[in-house]
Amino acid sequence: MGIPLNIDWHQILLHLFNFIILTGGLYFLLYSPIKKFIEKRDAHYRGMDSEANEKLDSARELEEQARERLEKIDQEIQEKRVKAEAELSEYTVKRMKEAQDKADKLISDAKASANEEKRAILDSVDKDIISITKEAAAKILHVSTDEAYSQFLDTAERDEGDGK
Amino acid sequence: MSKKQRIISLAVWLCLILVSLAGVLLTEDSERAETIRETMRDAVLHDSNKISLFGIAEVNPALISAFTVTGILLIIALAIRLFVIPKFKYVPGKFQLLLERLVGFFDGLGTSNSPHRNGFLNVYIFGAGVYIFFGTIFELFGLQAVTSHGIPISLPAPLSDINAAIALGCLSYLVIMSGGIASNGIRGVGKTLKDFSLPISMSFRLFGALLSGLLVTELVYYYSGLSFVLPVVVAILFTLLHALIQTYVLTMLTSLFYGEVSEVHKTKNKKTKTEIKA
Repeated sequence: MGIPLNIDWHQILLHLFNFIILTGGLYFLLYSPIKKFIEKRDAHYRGMDSEANEKLDSARELEEQARERLEKIDQEIQEKRVKAEAELSEYTVKRMKEAQDKADKLISDAKASANEEKRAILDSVDKDIISITKEAAAKILHVSTDEAYSQFLDTAERDEGDGK
Repeated sequence: MSKKQRIISLAVWLCLILVSLAGVLLTEDSERAETIRETMRDAVLHDSNKISLFGIAEVNPALISAFTVTGILLIIALAIRLFVIPKFKYVPGKFQLLLERLVGFFDGLGTSNSPHRNGFLNVYIFGAGVYIFFGTIFELFGLQAVTSHGIPISLPAPLSDINAAIALGCLSYLVIMSGGIASNGIRGVGKTLKDFSLPISMSFRLFGALLSGLLVTELVYYYSGLSFVLPVVVAILFTLLHALIQTYVLTMLTSLFYGEVSEVHKTKNKKTKTEIKA
């Protein structure tokens, strides 16, 4: 019995045989190697992506650590600053006290020295005054003696002239 | 090019067209080897023009086309495997991109339509898609063969033969059934057999679509007066559209049905029992 439309089982099987060969060949020659390459490239980029993510995570971790360290360092700096300021103020007070004491001592020494000098100067002035006075008195006395003697002599001469 | 040169070129081109047209019409042989009826009947039934297959048997010309397409595709694939694929780069060139898109398209089609089980399906639809597309385009080249009666004919698209369409349709059905069996066992067979009309619809869809293209082309070429300008639209455009549409339709339907039957069926009773036990 003839099959309509010239359907031939023998040729159908030949077509199947041909198609199976083609599909197998295309699988081994094209599909499989291209797919493997695509998967390899995907794996490569996934690896790069995960590596980048790991690096990013470690960078974030490092950043966090650095931030914590910075905070700690800031805190330490703050503590040291407070301590230094306290020490500085203590030292300043101490230094000021020392300076004040020194100044007081200098002033008292200066005062004593000045008084001594003043006394010495006054003594010296007194001696000078005395000597000057003596000199002046001597000079006064000398001048008056000479004048009196001269006056006497003048008077005597005038008397002798008058005949007295 | 100046305006004068352009006019001269146009005039020469028109003259050449008219001379060749006149030559074709004047030398047209009124006695043909076949009438249009015989040609059309042979295009559908392939009962008169047979070709000897290495002297073993007389077969339809489409089978010779199928072997030729397979041979050419395998040679090209081998050349690509040997000379192109080893030079693939992570940043692809144009040809590499084309090959990757080809594989990626069928791979994506299979994976999206059948997410549960798709390893074998993807390979199958890749082979089927390439075969349908290049097999359909093959008729554009008009390779000549001589029938056993000594009449020269141009080789048709493999799938314009109903035997090839039945082979591919039935194989697709078997592939779908294999997916059902692999995922659901006997239940998978039942799910596949539910769509018993599928192999027939798949086969005749392919056959009808490609045969209609062949018939229109045969009709147009039968009258040599229509062999100008019209074949550009009829042959090339229709063939390309057929190739694209039929490739997409068969691979998409196969992957869709495969995905449907290979979906793992979960029984509710077993779940409740295990839940009760837990």
